[in-house]
Amino acid sequence: MTQLFNWFRRGALERGLDRELQYHFDRRVADLTAAGIPEPEAHRRVTAELGLTQVREEVRDVWLTRWFRDFVYDLRFSARSFLRSPGFTAATLLSLALGIGATTAIYSLVDQVILHALPVRDPARLVLVDWKGDQAVGGFGSWNIMSYPMCRDLQQQTRFFDGVLCRAEIQVNLSAGGDPKPVAAEIVSGSYFSVLGIGPALGRVIEEADDAAPGAGPVIVLSHDFWRAEFGGAADIVGRKLLINQHPMTVVGVAPAAFHGVDVGAVPDFWIPASMYAEAFPGAEDAKDLLRRPTRWMQILARLRPDLTPAQAQVDLQPWFKSWLQDNMHRPGFPMITADRRRDYLASTLDLTSAPQGHSSLRRRLSQPLWVLFAATGVLLGLACLNVAGLFLARGSARGREIGTRLALGASRGRIGRQLLADSILLAMAGGILGVAVAPLAIRALLAFLPQDLAASALRATLSFPLLAFAFLVSFAAGLLSGLAPALHAGGGSLVSSLRERAGTGFGSIRLRKCIVTLQVSFSLILVIVAALFVRTLTGLLAKGPGFETTGILSFAIAPVQSGYSLAEAARLVRRLHEEVRALPGTRDSATARWAFLTGGSWNNAMTIQADRRIVTDDVNLNAVSPGFFSTLGIRILAGRDFDARDSRPPGEVGRRSAIVNEAFVKRYLAGRDSLGLHIGQGSGPDAKPDVVIVGVCADFNYRGLRDNSAQAFFPMFEGDDAGATFYVKVRGAPEQAIPSIRRLVRQADPRLPILWFRTLDDQVNRSLTTECLLAALSASFGALALLLSLIGLYGVMSFVVTRRTREIGIRLALGATGASAIRLVLRDAVTMIAVGMAIALPCVAVLGRLVQSQLFGVTATDPATVAAAALVLAAGALGAAFIPAWRASNVNPTDALRLE
Amino acid sequence: MPSPRFPIPQGTLDMLILQILSLEPAHGYGIAQRLEQISRSVVQVNQGSLYPALHRLEQKGWLRAEWKQSETGREAKFYSLTPAGRRQLTIEKESWARLSGAINLIFEEGSR
Repeated sequence: MTQLFNWFRRGALERGLDRELQYHFDRRVADLTAAGIPEPEAHRRVTAELGLTQVREEVRDVWLTRWFRDFVYDLRFSARSFLRSPGFTAATLLSLALGIGATTAIYSLVDQVILHALPVRDPARLVLVDWKGDQAVGGFGSWNIMSYPMCRDLQQQTRFFDGVLCRAEIQVNLSAGGDPKPVAAEIVSGSYFSVLGIGPALGRVIEEADDAAPGAGPVIVLSHDFWRAEFGGAADIVGRKLLINQHPMTVVGVAPAAFHGVDVGAVPDFWIPASMYAEAFPGAEDAKDLLRRPTRWMQILARLRPDLTPAQAQVDLQPWFKSWLQDNMHRPGFPMITADRRRDYLASTLDLTSAPQGHSSLRRRLSQPLWVLFAATGVLLGLACLNVAGLFLARGSARGREIGTRLALGASRGRIGRQLLADSILLAMAGGILGVAVAPLAIRALLAFLPQDLAASALRATLSFPLLAFAFLVSFAAGLLSGLAPALHAGGGSLVSSLRERAGTGFGSIRLRKCIVTLQVSFSLILVIVAALFVRTLTGLLAKGPGFETTGILSFAIAPVQSGYSLAEAARLVRRLHEEVRALPGTRDSATARWAFLTGGSWNNAMTIQADRRIVTDDVNLNAVSPGFFSTLGIRILAGRDFDARDSRPPGEVGRRSAIVNEAFVKRYLAGRDSLGLHIGQGSGPDAKPDVVIVGVCADFNYRGLRDNSAQAFFPMFEGDDAGATFYVKVRGAPEQAIPSIRRLVRQADPRLPILWFRTLDDQVNRSLTTECLLAALSASFGALALLLSLIGLYGVMSFVVTRRTREIGIRLALGATGASAIRLVLRDAVTMIAVGMAIALPCVAVLGRLVQSQLFGVTATDPATVAAAALVLAAGALGAAFIPAWRASNVNPTDALRLE
Repeated sequence: MPSPRFPIPQGTLDMLILQILSLEPAHGYGIAQRLEQISRSVVQVNQGSLYPALHRLEQKGWLRAEWKQSETGREAKFYSLTPAGRRQLTIEKESWARLSGAINLIFEEGSR
């Protein structure tokens, strides 16, 4: 540190030292002349005595160690020599900036989504509690969902935990005076903030007392961002009343700015205690008595005691869990289950996994694609380094005489090697700075692939300190990597021969350069194949489609129960809107479903089929749809009929009487036999009542996402249990044009009811393919870049070869060889490099392919056609790049070539 | 010109400088003269080697330097001891005493 400081004030230091030494000198001379020595003699003697030059050097060594000074001089020398060859500098800088920029951008997402520890007290001690085995009870939510009573019981296990919290992400309607609007929130146990060690920025946080009994805590804590954005950071926010799903709740505090909840993919606008579940999930039939029933809906995170590891605690916890499983079966709401399931249930275990990053379904979805892309950028960066190494070797050849001369003048080989290393490190650092400068743009482009609501709230395109540290390390490593080969090369080689050689040919570095190009070919083939696989996956999915019509269809959703409606009122409203939308002049056809399709989620339950015997299914994807749903979306009814008036219960009666199942359901559970007229019912236990008759079979289509082929069953809508609805409106003309008139309809029905979203079905399909789009677009651009880099490398080395062999080729031509044979001579080299490169790449693809297989669709990682096509593209490009120098060789004029000597 | 005086043992120059400056602040030439007086007939100090040592001690924070008017009226760089330097001097004195004591003991042992 002092050294760096000294470097910047070295001018002042030098001047001070000069004055100091001058003083000494003058005093000494004065003393000597006073003692009678003549002045010239005194001058001479003092000069010898002091040894000024050496003293200066020694003092400079005190200020800055020799190593540091030399290094700085090296860097200055490098910078000057780079400025003299701008073409070379631009080419290398661009290669490195691309490699480092891409790696940094992807790393920023990896860091934010996967690696970043929560900004809470001692995040390393947080563990996620997860159930392994059959939980037997139903639930709702994303992953790792557990019951609230389980969290309470775990809190008693103070031998293992310093605290246990549970939480779930929810969407509610919030109104703060104006119109209600849907916002994201986190519903949490009273222990949430204390376990995480998060205090309030204003007011107080949610405490145990707020979560003591159902309805005990009508309070919320706002997130800092929401407080700022929605309330302008009002200082008097604490104590204000807001309407959450039309229930008044009091703001008691604001969370710190850095804290965004425990899920990086779901940033809440506020927190609400679990005791307010009834207000948070109005009208949901599976959300009753959540504080006592074993319904699964929350993730459990615990703070482990400092002396325990997750593995230890997990083992020691099992005996308690065994007896807990028994107790749990006597809770209210625990379902009746068959003996088989009971055995599975009792064999369950608890899993504790370290969770310093919290829980995130986004991480679950994106972590593998992100690692794949990160690996791809790593390969790309490697390629860029190889390119730079190749360019350096070429430059080293050109500088052979300079280096030879320096060696002859007494520079050590280590010193020259260090100079070359300084060259490459300086260049890599400059490339790194460029890369970091473009990284935010690249990150923003990356985020454009993710759904907007998520990208806006959870992920940021800012440069953080870890990111900068990462970019610095990467640049440094790139500099070392790309400078190492040339530096080692300068260390070897005979001095005499290098001096004797002609300028322009220089060191015999050709073999090393060929190795580099071969590696480049194999790296880029790997990237091109990966890109081809992902592009085929995406185009395959798009070509297949969801199995229903998407063009010209607009969808929108409402959730009346969140605006204070009862179930019956909500059902009436949905029915009324359904009829009014159908009557709109621009509507060709319209239908509704209770849950939206292609959002990734679904309503699931196991079903019991009453055939010749009782058949219990696995989880089936369920939905309720209006009559005409199948024809609106162009889904064929294969047998039986669509829902109609016959399926409605008489007024006042609630429940369903008929169902339509899909082809996959019939194939999987009924072995394809005629299923019309069979009875099915929800649930898997002995208490399940198969009282719903199958009236139709529909063609398969995708429910959750484009990859699924699940068994599905549909019930009719408008049976008095519709909490909300998604409308699918087939429109004349552009779908967006219908939005204003629909908005007007909803406003007329209830001015305070928010529309959750408007989306065309085409857009919905694209949203469901974000991961695939991300992978395809990025891997394709990485593949193209890689191809470009390696072709440049190949072209460079072949040109070099031709230059070196100009004389030889000239002689051959003079002796009667044809131009074609000269081309062959040069291309043979290129073909060898390409072939060896491919031979290296293919086994790598076979190994790597297994890692990406789960991301693919309709194609295996070693798909011969894809691999062959990629290899063909590479080979064609590479031969093209090699052909230009080869052709030049065939046109060598023998006389010119011989005159070169 | 061969000198009858022997060169100063390695590492003791720093200690001597600290000792001289513990009496009063001085500039480089002054320290050189003081060294000369103290050790006139015994040790030989290369005048030049004084300056690297002074800058090293200053960088370590044991010395403080400031430009002041010297006795001849010209500005000179005066060095003085910092509290850290004073502590360092005590430490070095002690360890020197221990070392020379130990060596004396060995010699006495040998001459007996």
